[in-house]
Parts: sequence; structure tokens; C-alpha cells
Amino acid sequence: MTVLFFGRLKDVAGHAEDSAEFSDAATIEQLFALYAARYPELAKYRSSVVASRNQEFAAWDTPLRSGDEVAFLPPVSGG
Amino acid sequence: MVTLPHDDIYQLVREPIDMAAQIRLVRGPEDGAIVTFDGFVRNQSHNRATLYLDYEAYESMALAKMREIGLQIHEKYSIHRVAIVHRLGRLEIGETSVFIAVSAPHRAAAFDACRFAIDTLKRTVPIWKKECFEDGAVWADGELPPVPAATPRAKPAS
Repeated sequence: MTVLFFGRLKDVAGHAEDSAEFSDAATIEQLFALYAARYPELAKYRSSVVASRNQEFAAWDTPLRSGDEVAFLPPVSGG
Repeated sequence: MVTLPHDDIYQLVREPIDMAAQIRLVRGPEDGAIVTFDGFVRNQSHNRATLYLDYEAYESMALAKMREIGLQIHEKYSIHRVAIVHRLGRLEIGETSVFIAVSAPHRAAAFDACRFAIDTLKRTVPIWKKECFEDGAVWADGELPPVPAATPRAKPAS
């Protein structure tokens, strides 16, 4: 499973891309919790993060599958 | 039913946007109007002088979301073609970061569709800008895209 961080979340996590074992987390929420445990600063942003699974915005309880691409996205500011 | 034109334009670019070229590309003989939106880099943010902006995107998803906006405006409005181009990387004051052109037989649809397109882009397309000042850089405040609160049902693997 590929995990991507963007914007300030990339700064907090210290990298843009990571790979996680599918067996480590069953949902997006659990996956975020794993990273928040590794990078405590990340937990502060939980309420202003949205997640995507395979390039679609996804609810926190979305189940994960092997090979998924999950991204954690801060508020968008394009334009 | 909407037939999707194959000649709509959705691009992320790292060089200056050729606005005149985009306008030519959406213009057809059956059209009577083109409405454009040119979003460019302002010289200040919250009363601090901006030096430049740095844009990044989740590129595959940003392009998918830009195409989705195109689909939506074709469904909602009687328009002909749309071009949505966003620039990434370092942009100087006055440089165009986003350009949208919508052509239509009549102006009302083109105005409405162009407005809808930029408003939706700013809410839903995963692009971020970092504002660089004399004394440091910050990620710009943004909007949190609307996301389903919970999965209504198990989704098949895609």
C-alpha cells in the first residue's frame, strides 16, 4: 500500500511517500493513527485532514486493500 | 444525455500558460461567447508582502478532479468546450496560476459554467500553494474538500 502526504502534512511527516503493509491497518482512520503515533505532530492536524483512496476522497472508515494508494490531504489552496 | 467532447483541455503545467492558445482551442463556429477566468499571483497576503508562490499538486488526482468539474459543467450548462489549466512550481507576482476558458452558444451559460468551475476547483482539486515572504514561508490557508462522512456500503475494489 502506498501512502502519500501533501502540503504541510509532508513537512510534518518528513516525507512525501511511504509504503505500509496492508495488514497494519484495516481502515484509513487506523492508518492515520499509525502515522500519528510515529509523528505525534501529525495528530494535531487530524481535524483538518481529508483522505483519499485511489484518487477519490474517502471517508475515514473506508476499508483498505492491498495495493491501495492512500493520501492524506490538508485543506486545498489551488487557484 | 451529455456527449463528452474529446477536445476539452485539462492540464497541469510548469511553464507559463498560453491563454490566447487556450481561448483559440475552445472556440468553435457554433459558439457565440467565451468566458475566461485568469487567476494570478497577488503581491500580498494578509497585508504581508509576498515574494513568490510555490504550487504543488497530487497530480493524478488533481487531473481527475479537473475532469470531473468538466463533466459537471457539461451536465449543468449548455456549453461547448472547456479548458482548465493550472500551473505548478514557483510563480512570480502577476503570473497566471490558473486559467479557465468556457465556450458556449450564449453568454449566460459560459459565465455560469466558468464561475462554477473556478469555485469548485478551489474547493475540490488537490493543489496547494506555499506563500513565500521575506521572513519565511507558510502553506496558504485552504478549504477542506467535502468528503463522505462514512462509507455507506462496502465498495468493490477498483
